Amino acid sequence: MTSNNPAVFLLMINGQIEAADFPEYDDLYCKYCFVYGHDWAPTSGLEEGISQITSKGRGSQSLVWNFPLDITFKSTNPFGWPQIVVSVYGPDTFGNDIVRGYGAVHIPFTPGKHTKTIPMFVPESTSRLQKFTSWLMGRRPEFTDPKVVAQGEGREVTRVRSQGCVTLQFNIVTKDMKKLGYDTTSIEHSPARTPQQL
Amino acid sequence: MQQAPSLQLHTTRECLGLSHRTRTLMAELHIIGQIIGATGFPQNSLFCKWGVHTGGAWRLLAGLKEGQTQVDMPQTGDMAYWSHPIDLHYTTKGLQGWPKLHLQVWHQDSFGRCQLYGYGYIHVPSSPGQHRLQCATWRPLGSWQDQLAEMFVGGGPQLRSPDLIYSGADRYRLHTVGMGTVELELCVILRHFDRYGVES
Repeated sequence: MTSNNPAVFLLMINGQIEAADFPEYDDLYCKYCFVYGHDWAPTSGLEEGISQITSKGRGSQSLVWNFPLDITFKSTNPFGWPQIVVSVYGPDTFGNDIVRGYGAVHIPFTPGKHTKTIPMFVPESTSRLQKFTSWLMGRRPEFTDPKVVAQGEGREVTRVRSQGCVTLQFNIVTKDMKKLGYDTTSIEHSPARTPQQL
Repeated sequence: MQQAPSLQLHTTRECLGLSHRTRTLMAELHIIGQIIGATGFPQNSLFCKWGVHTGGAWRLLAGLKEGQTQVDMPQTGDMAYWSHPIDLHYTTKGLQGWPKLHLQVWHQDSFGRCQLYGYGYIHVPSSPGQHRLQCATWRPLGSWQDQLAEMFVGGGPQLRSPDLIYSGADRYRLHTVGMGTVELELCVILRHFDRYGVES
């Protein structure tokens, strides 16, 4: 485990896609995948997954998946820090499976427990006629590759409508980031530097 | 990933083309995060053009330093969500010219016409860690004739050059009105700053 001159650092991610909040939709399932830069490589765990279909209970309005996430990455460089892309799908009035939202967030950067709530958005039809036709035929506009949501280029031509949000929980452990010289916490929060109290 | 096990290709020295004999390790800064969205504007079909400006001592190694977000029309609520990722890797020889993120928030209506809604800028935090930031925005205000015309046909005065968003040089000439807020979440990772005696 110990090495004096490590060349890579590790990022271990445990967590879950806890629940979603979509006021207008029900019977949803989600897919997740990780998007990362060229310097990153997953060493263990699953990069993609599909959850179960969940419905709103009688009393509560939240859609609970409790879907586990477990993956470890190694890298030499924080550039291209992994992001998780979540896509939520559900049936429309005619029973077709359509997309209800895409969302992406960076994996938290500091060790510890984190809860993130990410907004979900769907691409919008360009005209009212197309909106009506897609409602009738059950083929709504969707991204050909959900990983587009995690990128910055090409987003300026997309028009979206945001609806709903998804809550995720993460527990993060990093190894050897300090040995490689990377500083992710400020001095006042780092316990090693506080003076001893008598 | 099908890459060979040796991932040592991206050290700073190799990126800058220096030979392995040089021992100087330059200070590096990573800015990773998202432009989450905006709230408090008169209409909420919004998009944002953003850019990062640095001084002369800074050099961008990887990442896009400017871009434009998607146009979001929120179904419920006031906040327009962009979730636009920012991932930048800088190296620097000095502390002057710490990176500044400047933003222009625009409104796009159902006909596809764009109207400026606000300018704003914020310094990238200088302490490492995760930060949730709010950037206040403002819009130039014209004369009363301009304001009247704006009420009927839209439009309005815009800055000729975006430098004025983040510099204080000629600001005294402007008369502006405050607009909404842009929310961002940025994580700052520093490397080798302590070797140069920098405390942050």
